[in-house]
Amino acid sequence: MKAAEQAAEIIRNYDGKKLRIMEVCGTHTHEIFRQGIRKMLPGNIQLISGPGCPVCVTPVGYIDEAVYLALEKGCTITTFGDLVRVPGSEKSLASARAEGAKVKPVYSPLDALEYAENHPEEQVVFLSVGFETTTPPSLMAVRQAKKEGLQNFSILTANKTMDNAYLALKDSADAFLYPGHVSTITGTKIYYDLMKEGISGVVTGFTGPELLTALAVIVKKSQEGKPFFMNCYPRVVTDEGSPSARKLAAEMTDPIDSEWRGIGIIPKSGIQLKEEYADYDARKKYDVPEMQGHANPACRCGSVLKGEITPQECRVFGKGCTPEHPIGACMVSGEGACAAFYKYGRDF
Amino acid sequence: MEKTVTLAQGAGGKQTSELIEQIFAKYFNNPYLTADDAAVLPVPQGKMAMTTDGFIVSPSEFPGGNIGKLAVCGTVNDLSCMGARPLYLTCSFVLEEGFPMDKVDRAAEAMAKTAKEAGVHIVAGDTKVAGKGQVDGMFITTTGVGEITEGVKTGGALARPGDAVIVTGDVGRHGCAILLSRNEFQIEADVKSDCAPLWGTVKAVLDTVKDKTGSYKDLHVVRDATRGGVGTVLYEIAGQSSVGIHLQQDQVPVDPAVSGVCGMLGLEPLYLANEGRLVIFTPKENADAVLETLHGLPYSGNAAVIGEVTEENPGKVVMHTPIGGETLLPQPGGELLPRIC
Repeated sequence: MKAAEQAAEIIRNYDGKKLRIMEVCGTHTHEIFRQGIRKMLPGNIQLISGPGCPVCVTPVGYIDEAVYLALEKGCTITTFGDLVRVPGSEKSLASARAEGAKVKPVYSPLDALEYAENHPEEQVVFLSVGFETTTPPSLMAVRQAKKEGLQNFSILTANKTMDNAYLALKDSADAFLYPGHVSTITGTKIYYDLMKEGISGVVTGFTGPELLTALAVIVKKSQEGKPFFMNCYPRVVTDEGSPSARKLAAEMTDPIDSEWRGIGIIPKSGIQLKEEYADYDARKKYDVPEMQGHANPACRCGSVLKGEITPQECRVFGKGCTPEHPIGACMVSGEGACAAFYKYGRDF
Repeated sequence: MEKTVTLAQGAGGKQTSELIEQIFAKYFNNPYLTADDAAVLPVPQGKMAMTTDGFIVSPSEFPGGNIGKLAVCGTVNDLSCMGARPLYLTCSFVLEEGFPMDKVDRAAEAMAKTAKEAGVHIVAGDTKVAGKGQVDGMFITTTGVGEITEGVKTGGALARPGDAVIVTGDVGRHGCAILLSRNEFQIEADVKSDCAPLWGTVKAVLDTVKDKTGSYKDLHVVRDATRGGVGTVLYEIAGQSSVGIHLQQDQVPVDPAVSGVCGMLGLEPLYLANEGRLVIFTPKENADAVLETLHGLPYSGNAAVIGEVTEENPGKVVMHTPIGGETLLPQPGGELLPRIC
């Protein structure tokens, strides 16, 4: 714990100007709460929760597409459990299930593939969301499905990449806490490139000491007055990342512009399966009409995701919007900022 | 005897008698258990405690026990937490047609063994058989009666600032064992349920408190942590007593395998079920003596003080983390794992 104590000391003694640090990764947000780090920070360090929760940044229209596939096309929707209760424009997948839709939570896209193999009579769609860490398994499922000539499996993609998001959020924070596991895929080159754009940050892991160390590094380096990057998760994040994962994505997908809830369109921040995999792209396979989703007007997830307000500053937080009755995705998802604040930080 | 349960065995005729004789009566043999319509029992002196419980755990056999052992432990422990010496149990079985008879046999054998250890007699029972698919395997409902030790008054509203919070062993093992034995995650780990009868433990703690202070009054709360885990018990007590509870996270005993599984699945060990763990609230001054007693007993070798009761933050459970931070233990809610007990 000595390193943690030293780091805590550096943080506690910071007396410089207001320092805004954005935690990009939803799991970082939760761990920071769980370790009690928020309460250790002095008043001039502000931790902002960013858009690192894949469910939270997925636009409302995506849920509408999934509901359409379930109710209008009779598809079996296989999905990470988090997505089931996210509200769409009219209804969530949970409500659709209550109306007779087939909605099956799975732990991985490969489970969804196995389900499709074992149920040839069902048209199975996997809801593919996530960042660089989660994309390769989805692509592997598609590759395997094509190899087997499966006719009843496809994915509805909303996968995103982080690189251009940092540029879009440049003015929201003085430094970033970069996502630990996304970085195992991307490697660190992107962060050195971002330094040239004036963006600073540190990549870190998920234990208490690792998080404290990273924050202490930010506190110290930010006082040097120039952009910085440091890899504080060297046991897992290497400079080169995972070339094979990146190769898989490059072979099977094209980058496209993508809508991030609350932020808007970020260029080349999404993916689409290449034409040769069109049969496994649910939008093409089922001719899904374009869905312009609309969120509940009381929902301020977008502002939360950009770090403009804290969850507590949203009028419906903890009142109309709770984990049991969520109004927006940030309250539903296991990685959502609102869910984290509700679970750990309410009235404390 | 049939290798699997048949509908005829639930019909009340010859096959039912065979089932009762060859399995239940064979194991539960005691002077109060007769073939009459009801057991005739001496009434306990003083106040009586009574409890009932249903058991639908799936799978019915798991590392560390089976549904039969669980049924006796669960009921015995409920009585024990009221300071009541368990005296009599009834058990009602609903069996699914086609359920393997050897599992019924093993459940009954475990019930008898556990009842003997707990000093309780199984005095009445009933057996029904439902058609295939109308019930899942084997369901057991028990009712227990015990005699309250005079002068013992424990309750959820009696925790006081300055009380030590003690758990009688490592947390979350039963829930973890059940989760692993369902094999949904294909994780292998050596985790056995902590299922155990705890009257012996409660009696020893009662005696320790009386020896030290002259009465049982200092034993404020004794509660068995079952579904919902220790975390749920703590929130219940904090709410009922309108006090805060301040936990030291690194003092909470957790089996390393349970810790590993929880880390992989994002679960909090304080919210996994137990079936042989007590949470005890008693003034701090008594903690050492209580711990010494617990450490000498079979089911509480790694008992520990995990925190204390405070006036601040009433109704909340605050955790002091290993890196020196403070955070709220998230409030219990939602269904973590179905059919855990």
